[in-house]
Amino acid sequence: MEKTLTKKSFPKWLKKLDGYTLYAPLFKDDVWSYQVADNPEKIELNHPNTVQAPKKIIYPQREIFFEFTSPEGEHPEIKEVLPEDNPSIILGVRPCDAKALTLLDKVFNDGYKDEYYWKRRESTVLIGLACVVPPSPNCFCTSVDGSPHSKDGFDILMTDMGDRYYMESLTKTGDKLIDSGGKGLFTNPTAKDKKELQKIHADSETKITRAVKDAKKIPPILKGMFESPFWDEEAMSCLRCGICTYLCPTCHCFDISDEMTSITPPQGLRIRTWDTCQFPDFTMHSSGHNPRPDKASRLRQRIMHKYQYFVERYKDYQCTGCGRCVSKCPVGIDIIEVLNKVRDHG
Amino acid sequence: MVTLEDLKHEATKVLKNGKVKYVIGYQNGTDQYKAMPAFLKDADEAEKLVWNPSCVHNLTKFLVDESRRKKGEREPDERPVGIVVKGCDSRAINVLIQEKFISRDDVHIIGVSCESTGVVDENKLAKKLKGKRVKKVDYGEDGHFVVTTEEGRVNIPAEEVLAERCLECKANYPVVYDVFLGDKEKKKIDDPYKSVQKIEGMSTEERWKFWKEQLGRCIRCYACRSACPMCYCDECVVDTINFVVEPDTKAEEKAQKIKWIEKSPTGSENIVYHLVRAMHLAGRCIDCGECERVCPLDIPIRFLNKKLEKEAQKLFGYEVGFDPDIPSLVSSFKDEDPEDFIR
Amino acid sequence: MMAEEFEPKIVAFLCKWCSSAGSDLAGVSRMEYPPNVVPIQVMCSGSVSPLYILSAFKKGADGVLVSGCHPGDCHYIKGNFYARRRIALVKELLEFIGLDPERFQMSWVSAAEGVKYTQIIKDFVNVLKPMGPQTKLRRSQ
Repeated sequence: MEKTLTKKSFPKWLKKLDGYTLYAPLFKDDVWSYQVADNPEKIELNHPNTVQAPKKIIYPQREIFFEFTSPEGEHPEIKEVLPEDNPSIILGVRPCDAKALTLLDKVFNDGYKDEYYWKRRESTVLIGLACVVPPSPNCFCTSVDGSPHSKDGFDILMTDMGDRYYMESLTKTGDKLIDSGGKGLFTNPTAKDKKELQKIHADSETKITRAVKDAKKIPPILKGMFESPFWDEEAMSCLRCGICTYLCPTCHCFDISDEMTSITPPQGLRIRTWDTCQFPDFTMHSSGHNPRPDKASRLRQRIMHKYQYFVERYKDYQCTGCGRCVSKCPVGIDIIEVLNKVRDHG
Repeated sequence: MVTLEDLKHEATKVLKNGKVKYVIGYQNGTDQYKAMPAFLKDADEAEKLVWNPSCVHNLTKFLVDESRRKKGEREPDERPVGIVVKGCDSRAINVLIQEKFISRDDVHIIGVSCESTGVVDENKLAKKLKGKRVKKVDYGEDGHFVVTTEEGRVNIPAEEVLAERCLECKANYPVVYDVFLGDKEKKKIDDPYKSVQKIEGMSTEERWKFWKEQLGRCIRCYACRSACPMCYCDECVVDTINFVVEPDTKAEEKAQKIKWIEKSPTGSENIVYHLVRAMHLAGRCIDCGECERVCPLDIPIRFLNKKLEKEAQKLFGYEVGFDPDIPSLVSSFKDEDPEDFIR
Repeated sequence: MMAEEFEPKIVAFLCKWCSSAGSDLAGVSRMEYPPNVVPIQVMCSGSVSPLYILSAFKKGADGVLVSGCHPGDCHYIKGNFYARRRIALVKELLEFIGLDPERFQMSWVSAAEGVKYTQIIKDFVNVLKPMGPQTKLRRSQ
């Protein structure tokens, strides 16, 4: 279903979406991030890339699996804690972040369906905003099989056409939400609208300034570079801070640990938290040995996971070109530069 | 004025005569105008060096890496490492020498003076230019920065876009060096602790509201810890990397292993992490501001360290990083230390 | 019916050689003082790490007391001098982030000062009672 909606009517439509928690990009404390939006009038979809990807709403940084008590001499009791019912709508998602969620879907459904992830994923509606101009100076989605107007992962894709939005609904849920706006709010697009949409979409692709040329050549080249001293050179200035992985919309490594709330009787929670390949205890064996002891092996791990291991397994790059790791790296380690150098290596 | 040619000349000189292993300096990065660290191994690489207000990084962190690398080598190269430092960074080197982590012979310090200005804060600059893409930032005349955008050049008074810490700078030129470039004129600062007063002026409840909200946003990425040159512990209090689990380690031992700070990024854990970090840096932090700059969520953690720096001076007369021969703050005491808070 | 009156929980880090002995003297002499204290014996006030204090608050302590030997009397010669510096900094930091300053105290109590110890605890409890439970640093779920 395709419709147009004037910007004036946009808050009216949002108010009619009952029964959902609405998340939108808001500017608070000097950063843009997805927050619960109480007031639809205040939502303006003109944001640059948010600091953290909306993945944290569906795959939160801390999640409780179950509670346990283990009284003396008795059988331990385990109480499962599934995510609460919270149907949500995330508004203003960029195509790169939505595509990233489709990649996470592959991981959390690979031989074992992760209940905690899927319960949230299935109850979250993604309404996207096409990128008329690149939201970050370091965007490179077109290099990794993405595009600023890609529909992957969305229920509805909105495109800003000046005074109105062009809405493309891609799923039944999207149709339902548009219908719940009632009669009179939406109008059918004219042929002129459709032509303008195509022009905006085509132009948006040309505005992206950074690129990884011939990305297809990179996975096989990487396979042969495991032992190369290239990584030592590139990782010289790495601080092992972990920002690249914490802001990445596709990174999904996690750690499971127990948090004891009382020692006698032993009571606690089993929780899952985000982990990162950049921390010193990643892949640290309990014997004390660590197969990835230094910065070079960790940088190599990050690049190869995204551009070789994931490609081999799921036939897709584990990187959607959002550019956050480039903008926020404190020492300017630039994944685009590293990949271009890798390609030249081969 | 510091000229780039002099800087390149100094770096080329020590690389050519083999006096140093490599020189750590700044080069042009790929993210707009920002500089990034450079590791120059040959004399002809010195051409890559730059010196402009976007050289914000504290390069002394890489001295810590170098020290670790040397420990792991069987026949380490004992030559010093060349490093380009600003005033604040040079104090970090003094603290590392004071703590005997490195020795004075391990570094060849090329000191560069910030003269009357300092380094640029990227958020302030972006706000000032209202989102225009910046191509270059250079030092100009009379306390101005020359900013080149896609629309041309513009002169901006440095004070409007300086990093917060530069407005409270105690050392605008290096205090320890082998080579000195620039002017040795001390910058006039009316109050080196102005930023802390804003919070000290709040009531207890207002302060709590401020910190609870700010530290509640922390995602515990530990970038602040990784960027700090003084956080060089092999095992940090939040990591559990040295707890060795063997086949005969009992379940009770594993369950009762002391975890001071849990992994979850919840309110109380974040607060305890930041407070403990501030305490561990008491008398060692030289306010290079890296912790605040690298924080992806722009949390103002620098205030915590600045407050302890102020107390160290007010209560104990202690100044960090000017003299490498004085004992550290918490492993020394004076008979006159105040005890009016003790009953 | 009548609400139970709030009883604050105080965690006291007492150095073994002076303050803990002082509290023992109070006990042996049958001096009366409020039972709100959880005493933790440490070898020296200088060994009290900021982590212990924060951990006590995290676990729900309403007040924390650190007590050691008088300057010059430390069993380990200098331990309490280091404590004096370190605890001063911890106190400033806790106040800075908005914890009520009355919740954290330090004292010098010698092995003969059983009376002083009971007085400190009595006063501490009286200060904490109207303030209610400490919730700021308490561990959140």
